[in-house]
Amino acid sequence: MSKIETADLMIYAMSREIDNNNTVLHGVSSPLPILAMSLARKTHAPDMAFVSGAEGVDPDAERIYLSSFDPRQNRDAVAYFGLHEVFDLAQRGELDVMFLGSAQIDRYGNTNLSVIGSIDNPKVQLPGGAASAFLMPITPKVVIWSARHTPRTFVEEVDFVTGQGYNHRSKEQMKNEMTIVSNLGVMNFKHPDRVMQLQSYHPGHSIDEIKKNTGFDLLVAPDVTETPIPGPRIVDIIRAMDPDGIRVTEFG
Amino acid sequence: MRSVLSSFEDAAKLVKDGDVVTTGGATFHRAPMEFLREIIRQGKKDLVLVDREPAIDFDLLIGAGCVAKVRAGLLAFELLGFAPNFRKKSESREIITKEGACQPIIAGFRAAAMGIPSLTIRGMLGSDLLEISEILGSQQQVEDPFTGEKLIAVRAIEPDVAVIHVQAADEYGNSRIEGPLYEDVIKAKAAKTVIVTAEEIIPNVEFRKKPEATKIPHFLVDAVVHAPKGAYPCSCFNRYDVDYDHIREYIAAVNNDRFGKYLDEYVYRRAGA
Repeated sequence: MSKIETADLMIYAMSREIDNNNTVLHGVSSPLPILAMSLARKTHAPDMAFVSGAEGVDPDAERIYLSSFDPRQNRDAVAYFGLHEVFDLAQRGELDVMFLGSAQIDRYGNTNLSVIGSIDNPKVQLPGGAASAFLMPITPKVVIWSARHTPRTFVEEVDFVTGQGYNHRSKEQMKNEMTIVSNLGVMNFKHPDRVMQLQSYHPGHSIDEIKKNTGFDLLVAPDVTETPIPGPRIVDIIRAMDPDGIRVTEFG
Repeated sequence: MRSVLSSFEDAAKLVKDGDVVTTGGATFHRAPMEFLREIIRQGKKDLVLVDREPAIDFDLLIGAGCVAKVRAGLLAFELLGFAPNFRKKSESREIITKEGACQPIIAGFRAAAMGIPSLTIRGMLGSDLLEISEILGSQQQVEDPFTGEKLIAVRAIEPDVAVIHVQAADEYGNSRIEGPLYEDVIKAKAAKTVIVTAEEIIPNVEFRKKPEATKIPHFLVDAVVHAPKGAYPCSCFNRYDVDYDHIREYIAAVNNDRFGKYLDEYVYRRAGA
């Protein structure tokens, strides 16, 4: 698959994590989440509440930009709702789905967006976790996307716990779901031990290949299957919003 | 009401070396860039910068040597990549990076705006960021006295100075913000000194015709500066879009050891640069 086809497949998979009655937020540097949310709203989830990191509610952005906070993203919005207001909502348990990134992720779903090496002497100063440490444990569903599924990103142990995986959560936070959508497959934590398992592999990628690209022993769900390919109508919706292919920027 | 209309030169004198400074906007949008260029021209030192998700505003001050410490939820250039000066100077330990998370920073501003020493929030538990913050003294695990729930108390963040770029203001400081507000109104209440830069200075009578459009009232504001294109190269909603090409040029300048030349051309505006 080409990068653009992989991006479209990931966007389609991410959009299917959204239910029609959900309130959903995307953050900064989030072309795939914006496209997934827009796609969900235009297809199976017309009633969802779409809260943009650019602060527009239910925008109908004609296209995406290099900045996910670009105010042009808010075209046709019904209201502005600031981040502090969305965070209030999250603390009330009323933000259903959040999309987050990661530079490293481990088998428990801990994410690192802070630093490679040690915090006092960073080898690489990463941009920072943004909302991860606040939203990951308290949001009913967090979807993490990664355009680079390699043993360097899917690691045995993260250098720094920015976002909390299941071994760093309270009992009541264990019920909150997490899905990982990478360029190779879709993973979740439905395993009884709350460790990462492969739920579907993208067309053209084998289970073995995905396991080899994972820095820990990746479990495989008993009902593992191939990730569904988006049909032409879905692809048209995505491409209309991103004719220039901004969505593959992250694919390196 | 008294006029607080000022010039870039005079308003920037309100910023002292070592001050805790926050800026309005988020990433590449409505950042007070021209004011920050004046800060650099005046050679301010050892600033402590705090914001939720800054970008080129903080990176420019860091690159120009004005900054000692940075506290941000995330500091990057969106899809254009790392914040180049921030990454360089953080990795070489020329600046101290106290990475936060968005909510504790916003809650810290809110606490200061409310005039209370701290505010409790959810989340954070189990993150290494909390551990660091407890050592630094900016966050602390507490138990809610009524329910016993484990929460995080976030210490108030009261910036010495908040600089906020808006679409329109009057000479008294009344300010209109169009489009997304970000945390700008909260910051205006939280900071000790508030400097507004405005695309347009409009007559006070316009504010009286439509008070609901006033997002920051005059008594919160210490100085107003007329600043057409004051957010450039960032966007100013309803006025101009972000200039992504300029930001690419900026990144290339930092990464190719031409940042001094960039400063000469766009900040010091030296002849022949």
